[in-house]
Amino acid sequence: MLDTLLPILIFSALALAAVGAVRRVRLWRQGRSSPVPLIRGLAAMPRRYLVDLHHIVARDKTMSNTHVATAGGFVLAAVLAIVVHGLGLAEGVLGWLLLAASATMFAGSLFVARRRRNPPARLSKGPWMRLPKSLMAFSLGIFVVTLPAVGVLPAGGWLVALVLAAVVAWGLAELVFGMTWGGPMKHAFAGALHLAFHRRPERFSDKRGGEGRSTGLKALDLEDDQAPLGVETPADFTWNQLLGFDACVQCGRCEAACPAFAAGQPLNPKKLIQDMVVGMAGGSDARYAGSPYPGKPVGEHAGEPHGPIVARPSAQAQGRTALVDAETLWSCTTCRACVEECPMMIEHVDAIVDMRRFLTLEHGNTPNKGAEVLDNLIATDNPGGFDPGSRLNWAADLDLPLMADKREAEVLLWLGDGVFDMRNQRTLRALVKVLRAADVDFAVLGAEERDSGDVARRLGDEATFQSLARRNIATLAPYRFTHIVTCDPHSFHVLKNEYGELGGNYEVFHHSTYLHRLIEAGRLNLKAMKASSVTYHDPCYLGRYNGEYQAPREVLKALGVELKEMARSGYRSRCCGGGGGAPITDVPGKQRIPDMRMNDVRETGAELVAVGCPQCTAMLEGVVAEERAEVKDIAELVADALVENAAPGGAGNRPRRDTEEVAL
Amino acid sequence: MSDIVRRDPRREWIARNRLHPEHLAVRVDPHGTASPSEWPGPNGLTRRNPRAVGFIGPNGIKRIDRSGAQQAATQSGGRQAQPKDTRRRVDIDAPDFLVAVVPDMPGGRLSSHDRDLLGMARQLADADPERPGAVLAVVFVEPREAAFDEAGIDRLLSLGGAGEDGGGDARFDGYAPEARVAALQAVERELAPRHWLLPDSALGGADLGRRLAVRLGERPATQVWQIEADAVSETDWRCIARGAAGGTDMTRPLPRVAMALAECAEPVSETRHAARPVELTQGPPQVLARIEDLGAVAVDPAGVALGEAEFILSAGNGVKDWEAYHRAARILGATEGASRVAVDDGFMPRDRQVGATGTWVTARVYVAVGISGAIQHLQGIQSCEKVVAINLDGGCDMVKRADLAVIGDAGEILAALVAMVERYREQQQENRDAA
Amino acid sequence: MPHDVATPAETELNVAVLVSVGRHPLTARARRADQDARAVEMALTLPDADVRLIHAGRHDDDSDSALRGYLGMGLASIGLLEQPSGADVVPALAAVLRDASPQLVLTGARAETGEGSGLLPYLLADWLGWPIVTGLAAVESVEHGMATVLQALPRGQRRRLRVRLPAIATVESSAPAARQSAFGPARRGGFDPETRDGVRDDALSEWHVQPARKRPKRLKIVKAASARDRFKAAAAKAQGGGGQVLEGATPEQGAEAIFKLLEEEGVVRRS
Repeated sequence: MLDTLLPILIFSALALAAVGAVRRVRLWRQGRSSPVPLIRGLAAMPRRYLVDLHHIVARDKTMSNTHVATAGGFVLAAVLAIVVHGLGLAEGVLGWLLLAASATMFAGSLFVARRRRNPPARLSKGPWMRLPKSLMAFSLGIFVVTLPAVGVLPAGGWLVALVLAAVVAWGLAELVFGMTWGGPMKHAFAGALHLAFHRRPERFSDKRGGEGRSTGLKALDLEDDQAPLGVETPADFTWNQLLGFDACVQCGRCEAACPAFAAGQPLNPKKLIQDMVVGMAGGSDARYAGSPYPGKPVGEHAGEPHGPIVARPSAQAQGRTALVDAETLWSCTTCRACVEECPMMIEHVDAIVDMRRFLTLEHGNTPNKGAEVLDNLIATDNPGGFDPGSRLNWAADLDLPLMADKREAEVLLWLGDGVFDMRNQRTLRALVKVLRAADVDFAVLGAEERDSGDVARRLGDEATFQSLARRNIATLAPYRFTHIVTCDPHSFHVLKNEYGELGGNYEVFHHSTYLHRLIEAGRLNLKAMKASSVTYHDPCYLGRYNGEYQAPREVLKALGVELKEMARSGYRSRCCGGGGGAPITDVPGKQRIPDMRMNDVRETGAELVAVGCPQCTAMLEGVVAEERAEVKDIAELVADALVENAAPGGAGNRPRRDTEEVAL
Repeated sequence: MSDIVRRDPRREWIARNRLHPEHLAVRVDPHGTASPSEWPGPNGLTRRNPRAVGFIGPNGIKRIDRSGAQQAATQSGGRQAQPKDTRRRVDIDAPDFLVAVVPDMPGGRLSSHDRDLLGMARQLADADPERPGAVLAVVFVEPREAAFDEAGIDRLLSLGGAGEDGGGDARFDGYAPEARVAALQAVERELAPRHWLLPDSALGGADLGRRLAVRLGERPATQVWQIEADAVSETDWRCIARGAAGGTDMTRPLPRVAMALAECAEPVSETRHAARPVELTQGPPQVLARIEDLGAVAVDPAGVALGEAEFILSAGNGVKDWEAYHRAARILGATEGASRVAVDDGFMPRDRQVGATGTWVTARVYVAVGISGAIQHLQGIQSCEKVVAINLDGGCDMVKRADLAVIGDAGEILAALVAMVERYREQQQENRDAA
Repeated sequence: MPHDVATPAETELNVAVLVSVGRHPLTARARRADQDARAVEMALTLPDADVRLIHAGRHDDDSDSALRGYLGMGLASIGLLEQPSGADVVPALAAVLRDASPQLVLTGARAETGEGSGLLPYLLADWLGWPIVTGLAAVESVEHGMATVLQALPRGQRRRLRVRLPAIATVESSAPAARQSAFGPARRGGFDPETRDGVRDDALSEWHVQPARKRPKRLKIVKAASARDRFKAAAAKAQGGGGQVLEGATPEQGAEAIFKLLEEEGVVRRS
């Protein structure tokens, strides 16, 4: 009797799954087209899954083993079950293999069940709570029905058969056609295809051991006046972005990493991705079973594939909401902590910036100081609205060599908008002092330099970004230099990773990398820093965006510093709250992100926190607290440690101005 | 007190005669004045008694103050009691021409802008001593302070204020540009001034002057900040005026109607003028007003945009009792501001944040309560005229920046200040009731 | 804005906004003029208003981007009266306004380029015979051919005026700030060209125009009777070189010192 029931069950489940798959694919196909190499992508999928994805999952060893057992057992068991029970080929080793596979899967599902007993807050509940039971039903059911097939047990009566069939049916429902009909197992189906058709194939490592990285935002085509400016409706995402949202497994690692969520700002990356899934299919977020956006109850927002994601201000005034509130999107600091943590390799930041682009370019609704900053960038090429001719005023006494005079230099020193900030001027002075001490042939652009466009781009103003970038590229074109050095990781990232698409390809170094090289080459004569306990804060745009975790630490080591690492450092470093225009859009939360970061610093007991970013310096120094750790840029620390008269350059006798009192 | 030194021959004689019984008493004070250390001798030479110089200091030692402070103090009651008004009196009987000035007179007083403008009018009127012009002031408000003569006004046409003499007119009160322009046109018809000068001040002369120029069919010069004699020009004068929102300077012949910026000329200080009243024979014409002034709207100072506010009471980390702070702001009539910390901690809304990252303010008086003065905050208050700091920490940067700093508990000081203002208001009220 | 209350649109208010090409004070780049943009903002926030933008002047690459700044505030088009450089645009504008017959004309108080005398609205008002109101802060209501408006006085004070329509009103920087100009609508918006003959402004070309000089700071002239007073005035410490610090005073003494300063500065109201 089971022999007849099982094939029917298996094949009807497969047929239903196929129908579901077609429906799911049609949901994704609502998105805009995005050419992807289909065959090559599918071919690369196993490697992407087994290497890149597993690499991230393996950060949690227990979960990784659980997943290997459950998922590996399931895939094997499912295939074998089709062969053994569906096609009735139970001979020989196949049945035994199926037994082994389902037993492994059962073992894995026990771990899944254990995790679900006291799940951490970041995990979604709802249907996910029944998943371990379904897994057990499937594995146990298959195991038991296979026993007669290999001849261990005799086939039971029809009652036993019916019960077993029901258990297997439950398992099949969840694990096979639930996969394409929106159950928790959807992540396997969508995730596999998402890996195959990922919009950033460069992200994945290759066989030659190259570490994949792709963090630059993709440019909008502004020449084509029919092309939409950003994303207004869920259907405005590209189809593989929609596919990516569908791959979310709701593990909540992004939520745990998100600084805005921790600060009580109305953003939760997991919820955001789930909202996009809701919007893609149409409906309300009432069935979402995870943590909400802080301060925003679930069930008040709804959307549809071709409806707006964010309500217009006029509709908001009437109390109408759409899928997501604008302040959710503006809370993001673009720190990429969520992307870094996501085991499904979903691109949250891309999605957020896509939606911001529409808010800025079409709604004209960049909140708080956003509009003013963008106007300033358009009119004066810097966010503060300062006279562009006064860019070099801070260095009047330094006599910096200008590129316009020299035309050629080994290093082009990109100063960034920190030139207008009194605090950052101290860092720049220190950096200039170090470069001179190492006798580096460098030059600056002076008044020719413009904002790199980072802030404009993160605020969604692609038009201003491209205008600034193209003009900067044109400014750089006639000059000859081997590389650009900058002490601003944001400029660094944009120059290195985002100008290429517009025709500007340069070798760019963050100053910590360059200082590390100088030290390695023995061009700097350093004395050990006076002993004080030091910790290092990784800037997001240097670390997660560009993978530079080592050089700053090496520089600090060369200064004789023994670092007291924070609990969250390296790729898990917590944002200072200064990225993505977050200080400009300034969405209120329960606490401030920099305060949380300075608490991290305090926990290490360090008296000094070394940084490598003007934005981080400003944010961390803005923390008002008793006994706050001192904040110093790496360049300042190196400049302080220079052994002056032994320096090979003639810069030893330059007046030390970096500790000068700043007076108004 | 008279400045004339009265000599007393008898006392002088006694002073010379050492044998006179009253000699000693007279020596000490030969003229009966309070200046015993110096006196004019009989031959006209000044005589000094060095022993009479100086005073006994607090610890019993004689001190001689040569800074003059003491002398100035002793002189105050003495001969040079009042600085004499040395200003030349000018009364032009038959002026060759008129320079009409329409001062704003906010609050019934000549503003410094008005005085500067009158100084410029004097330049025009006095250029040729052979043929002097007279400065005619057309005043639409009831003057509170009669300082017209000092400001350089020869003729005064007073149209404002519903005076008993019937010369005044309530039509000009408030915002009545149409009636005012009609009156100025009547002046033009009767007195035909050679020049019309108005202050280029928002809602005052700027509005009225442009209306007048258009009515007279003249192309006015606006935002004038300097005039110079220029023989080539038709009017013998040329002016430099700001154009393109302050971006350019335009040098052009001075037209009949000009609106000048503040500090366009030095105000009159060395002459006093007659300020003779004149009247229009026909009186200003009646016009159909198409603009009706419904009066001032009560504006809650707390709601005034920070950038516009003139008196800001700003709160920082040091404020503990927020209720008392809000009450103080209400009673003082001050606009509320805040430091970043106070905003971040949720005590104040974000739009109240003062500083480089908040609003740059231009208040006349900025009172910083419990704000230590981070550099971003100090940048935001750069253009405030007077800064008052109330702070517990006497060494903080805000105290260094402040024109007046009071070190102490902010709550107590605010409470005392509030009590003081309330008392002051009561007194004002009583005075008014008594009057 | 609390104007979402559904009022029956009895009469649609016809508003024309005159816009010019502005110039950034630091970089001299063409932009939407600040005051004109505020006038557009005010028009856009009027309930049931049909807003029409009119620009008279040259139309080239530079001014195109600036004018698109207005379109980016959410307008479909700008009426464009193309005029040669250095033309007197008053006759042309007056003719257009007479044909369009709006009830309310809003514009910035003065232009950011050219003479910038702020005379244009007055001339138009004179040509058309309409009243003119300056320094508008808000339009409160429009009914029965009368508009009730708030006029901005210095330091955040307001005055309520009633003006008979049609009227011209100018807007200064005390009016609410203009909304952000968005790239998309700016790119999509168009220009409705209209031709009127320009009148050359001859006088302007005869004037000598140069970049603004810094005005000399007025020196404090001390007229003192004695040499000592003059010396004292000359040797006096510059202001702001450190204020008075009251330390260890009772709260009452401190409050008194503050009160004295407040009274001197005249910021304490008498009642």
